[in-house]
Order: sequence, then C-alpha cells, then structure tokens
Amino acid sequence: MTGLARVGLVASRELSAERRQPDGAVAAVTFVAVLVLLESLVVGPSRARDATVAAALFWIALAFAAIVVAMRSFDRELDDDALDALVVLPGGRDALFGGKVLALAATLGLVALVGGVLSLVLLDLPLALPVHVVLVVVLGVVALAPVVVVDVVLALRLRARAALVPILALPVLVPQLVSATQGAAAALTGDATAALAWSGILLAFALVYGVVGLTIVPAAIE
Amino acid sequence: MRTVEACASLHDATVVIDDRVILRDVSLEIGPGLTVLRGPNGAGKTTLLRALAGLVPLARGRRQATGELLYIGHRPMLLHGLTARENLTFFARFRGTPADGVAGALAAWGLADRADRSVETLSAGERRRASLARLDAEATGLVLLDEPFADLDDAAVSRLGEAIARARGDGRAVIVATHARHELDQDGARRVGIAAGALTTP
Repeated sequence: MTGLARVGLVASRELSAERRQPDGAVAAVTFVAVLVLLESLVVGPSRARDATVAAALFWIALAFAAIVVAMRSFDRELDDDALDALVVLPGGRDALFGGKVLALAATLGLVALVGGVLSLVLLDLPLALPVHVVLVVVLGVVALAPVVVVDVVLALRLRARAALVPILALPVLVPQLVSATQGAAAALTGDATAALAWSGILLAFALVYGVVGLTIVPAAIE
Repeated sequence: MRTVEACASLHDATVVIDDRVILRDVSLEIGPGLTVLRGPNGAGKTTLLRALAGLVPLARGRRQATGELLYIGHRPMLLHGLTARENLTFFARFRGTPADGVAGALAAWGLADRADRSVETLSAGERRRASLARLDAEATGLVLLDEPFADLDDAAVSRLGEAIARARGDGRAVIVATHARHELDQDGARRVGIAAGALTTP
C-alpha cells in the first residue's frame, strides 16, 4: 500500500468517526454561526458590512473552529489508546499527519460553507468574484489545517493542552489569517489580482507547513 | 494464515519517563514462539512491551524489529465512533492485507451480532474481544499482548488461549505480559521476569 493510500485511509476513518460523533464539527459550526450573528451587534451594522471586517471575523472564527475540531479528533484517538494502534502500524506515523490534515480540511470546508453563506446572507455582503472567493476559502482552509494539527500533536500529552493549543497556534496562524482576510476581502470587492496574489501566498503557507508537519509529526508523536 | 517471521530485540535499553527510570539497561531478544513476561505491578512490563513496539523513546540503548507487529495494550485501542468491523477492516487494509477475514475473526470471538455497533457502546469485555480478534485478522509476525486476559469471561479466556497456541504454531513471536494464567508457562514457553525495571530470573 502506498503512502498516499494510507493517508486516504486515515482521512476516511477520521471522517467516518466525525460523521458518527459530530460533536467537533457541530461545535465549530455553532461557534462560527454565533460569531456571524453577533457581528452586527459587536461592530455595528455598517462596519459589519465592510468586506475586510467581515472576512477578518470569519477567518478568526474558522481558526478557532479548526482548533476545536482538531482537538476533538485527537481526544477521540486518546479515548482508548487508539492512537497507539495507528502509530505502530507500518507507515502509521507518516500517514497520521496527512490523514488528519485532509480530514480537518474537509470538515473545515463544511464549516466554512455554512459560515460563508450565513455571512453573505445576514450581512448582505457583496460577492463580486464568487470563484475567487471559493479559491481563497479553499486555500485558506488548506493553509490553516497543517498548522493546527502540528500544534495539537506537539501538545498532545500535556495536561493543559486545551489551553496551550490556542496559545501555541494562534500566533503562528496570524500570517495565514491576514492573507486569507485580505484575499477574501479582495475577492468580495472585485479585485481579482489581489485575490489571486493572496491565494498564492496561502498556497505557499500550506506547502511550507505541510512539509514542516510531515517532518515533525512522525518524530513528535508518542 | 500467511505470516512473516519476525523478531524484536532491545539492547541495553533504558527508558526514562517524568525523570523516573522505568527500564534500566534491559537486553532482550524475542523470536518465534511464546514468551511470557511476568512481574509485579509497576515492575515495567508495559513499558518493556511499549519499548519493543517503538512507542516509547529510549534514553539509552537501541531497539531492533523486523517484520510487522501487533501491539494490544491495557486498553482495546479501537477508535470510538467506528464499529468493531470498521476498526478491524481499517487495520487490515492499512497493512495491505485483504479484509475478508474480519467478519470471521469477529464471529470467532462471539461478536457477530455486535460487529456493526460503535465500539463505545460495547461492554469492556466485548471491546477487549473485538481488539483480540485482530490476532486472527492480521497476520503479523510479532504479537505483543499486555494483560490480555483482563475483562474476559471464561469462554473468551479459552478462546485467547487457543489463539495464542495457534499463533505459536504458525511460527509467530508472541509476548504476553501478565501476572496471572500460569498455565501459559507450560509447553515450553520462554519465561522472562522483570522487577524494578530490570530483567530477573523468573
């Protein structure tokens, strides 16, 4: 079996478990939806319709959602020492990172879809370049996932990991959040060149953190 | 059952966890057949098995292992949210082996009618049996079992005894860490003792 097939198997297993126990995804969707609903109250209706403000709050909500989903995913692995069973399989350590990132990205894609539609409808946002918006959202999600998975793995055996993961992850996520916010705002307001440029930066982040994760996670997992 | 001959060894292995030395300069070679690892609570049996499985880092010494291994620890090691069948199918497919033996393995362990229930809805004994069914579903050359008789009823204990005997017969290397079941010591099983993190003569 190839490494890619193993990654696919881990991701498929992860999504099956998430489908049966969707507490992580439900918590993430609820969190994003509440933030979008409260946005007008917090910043005022006119500011909330500003594409940059709306995009920034959307991506901050998505970053927290990613942390919630990833931590729930690893909690499930720790419940009955299931992680050990995966790690001792041949190629298990290497497949773990890729599989978790793929599954997290897929789940976040769903959360982003719900949050995005809510934002567009409730805040009456402009949608000048829909294809570019989708591109930025997809690449933004792909850029968030590896960072969050690496941070959860690094904090996996720590007692205070629920507090530590956000503290570790959020500063590292700032460049991705800024890029995703700027890219989404540009796509919403019709600046195709800027949207594509920020998308390229997001892709670069995804590749860099993907390589970092593939290097660190197999060695760090215990 | 097709098996790949496997062996595992530790050479002068020392394991330190939270500044405590759990294993101290342990050297052990495991080959085909049954090895019974005995020792009191806290002696280091679990850590020794985890070291052989590569699940704990060695502070000193080295580990060697050839072939694929199956490690079943104190807990069933099955992913919640999936059924017993899905868990075992995942493991078999991950190893690149056909998953058509999974149904038979679960049935042999008395779980035919519970194979499609999420594992967290099973009792502790049923989860343990689902976990031990991996012995039949995965043809690994090396098998590490940590207190495998815990949570089992009499029928499942007999089933496990048969499964271990069959694995020995197939030429697999089986290590069982337990402080019960002295009948395992019969029939030429190798005995290894451990106390305070060091190997002893049992």
